[in-house]
Amino acid sequence: MKLAAVAAVIAFLYALPAVASGQPYVLHIIALSCLYAIPAIGLNVMLGYTGLVSLGHMAFAGIGAYTAAVLMVDAKLSFWLALPIATITAGAAGFAVGSICLRFRTHYFMIVTLAFGLLLHQVMNNWDEVTRGAAGFPGIPRPAPLAIGDWSHSFGPLAGFYRLALTGLLAAFALQWAIVRSDFGKVLVAIRQDEKLAGFKGANTMLYKTTVFALGSAIAGFGGVLFVSFLRAASPDAFSLAESINMVLIVIIGGAGYLAGPLIGALVYIAVPEYLRAANELRLVLFGVLLVLITLFAPQGLAGLLQSGWKRVRR
Amino acid sequence: MPEGFLEQVINGLMMGSVYMLVALGMVLIYGVMHVLNFAHGVLFTVGAYVCHLLLTRVTGSYALAVVLSMGVLAVLGIALEHAVFRPLRGNLRSQVIASLGLILAIENTVVWIWGPNALQMRIPATQSIVALGELHFNLHLLVVIGVTFAVVAMLFLFLKTTKLGTAIRATSQSAEAALVVGIPVESVHRFTFALSTALAALGGALLGPLFLVFPTMGDEPLVKGLAAIILGGMGSVPGAVIGALVIGVAEALSTLYFPTDYRDSVAFMVIVLVLIARPQGLFGVRMRGED
Repeated sequence: MKLAAVAAVIAFLYALPAVASGQPYVLHIIALSCLYAIPAIGLNVMLGYTGLVSLGHMAFAGIGAYTAAVLMVDAKLSFWLALPIATITAGAAGFAVGSICLRFRTHYFMIVTLAFGLLLHQVMNNWDEVTRGAAGFPGIPRPAPLAIGDWSHSFGPLAGFYRLALTGLLAAFALQWAIVRSDFGKVLVAIRQDEKLAGFKGANTMLYKTTVFALGSAIAGFGGVLFVSFLRAASPDAFSLAESINMVLIVIIGGAGYLAGPLIGALVYIAVPEYLRAANELRLVLFGVLLVLITLFAPQGLAGLLQSGWKRVRR
Repeated sequence: MPEGFLEQVINGLMMGSVYMLVALGMVLIYGVMHVLNFAHGVLFTVGAYVCHLLLTRVTGSYALAVVLSMGVLAVLGIALEHAVFRPLRGNLRSQVIASLGLILAIENTVVWIWGPNALQMRIPATQSIVALGELHFNLHLLVVIGVTFAVVAMLFLFLKTTKLGTAIRATSQSAEAALVVGIPVESVHRFTFALSTALAALGGALLGPLFLVFPTMGDEPLVKGLAAIILGGMGSVPGAVIGALVIGVAEALSTLYFPTDYRDSVAFMVIVLVLIARPQGLFGVRMRGED
């Protein structure tokens, strides 16, 4: 029953371009929400399940994005090769940076991740020879069409890319689900609840935290590659401190530590204001206020509110 | 070469003074309430805008506008403490996340009210040049350094000699013990917040005439202020002073040897290296509330 519902939703999402064929703008917004939700899933695994508030998360999306950009544009590699290489590079960078940052806790951890995020942003902004500097990296291609036998799919048009973004999101979501369900994920939650106790129980907490930092960064890098391929260009400001803070906001508003949290957060962050047609700065004011209100009155976020509302309805 | 060196030292002392005002505010709040207020940088920005508003629309006197903007921000600080930080007391993660929300809300309110473009703040002191030997400086540069040092000296006197200052120090050592000996801890929190946001406003109001007044002008002082606190030792007031000056001068001097594009990296490197090599900072204050 539950499985059938999930399958129906997924089938609907894949069929959406046909349903909304006259509405390219709607499709664009939904594709963008998918692309924001992917790094948010990476951060949810770190922040929501393990309790690691990283203020430099988008820098790792940037590492993935720029690695793929250089591989595709300068080395003429195909997207399908650049994507896994860039994902692994972001994960490796996350492992290296994480093994330094995770020596610290709470405030110190946040400050070090913030410092690394800013440092990486500076490199993207100033290393003109490789990243093309502050003006951005133009000419990043969309993936080449895939053909298997008679079936072929092209990613140039919006509908084609939307299906790719959706597939990427579902893959990241499935990975999140697998992590959370596994014994590994249970240790992560134990670390969030009481790190010392988890350590006494015999878990090598440092190894777990470093692994989850690397995984979260790899997911962010994966999302970063799709993001710049969608926009056909990379800009350092897409991976700045402000964007990292927005990512924390997406995860918290959506519901940290809920599987659906990053999805709800990204949808609220990207899609809802488009319908409200609010001026951009006013929209961000509202999100800032919403975040403060959620930390004050509903720390479990929208996913938590929906869940408790659903429970009440069923009773 | 020596002239260039001296020039950068003075520039560094000026920026260091601005960082110091931000760092002191954060360190006072951290000391008393055990929370880092990441929204301190946007309060710095609001201070500059309020000062600009008062200068151009109300008083016409820069000195008066600076003092009044500190007052306005002190009131804003009390309001934030009351509405956001007090209800979240004891939940460090929520307090920090709420302060991130405040960054977004306040910074974009500024854009909404004043627009995204930089404003100019014209005062006489930026027009006059002072000669120091071979070197020529904008008078306001020296005003920033002078005012900051005078204010910091007063702050130290206040903390050491007055009853309220002693209450702040006592609360930062142990809130429970302070409560036991009859210190009104709630009022101390409120006052500390007001004092901190007033210092941030002073920083913004002082920097405004030298650079421009723009919505993200507080980002850099926030990060440099954090670096200063880390370098000086989290929770140490003298540490924040020394740390801010070291960072200001070090990054100004770095422009003599490295491309200016990487000037900001000095502070980030300081954060990372100090935390790895000497996490308690120069002044060895214990890491508190961190387990």
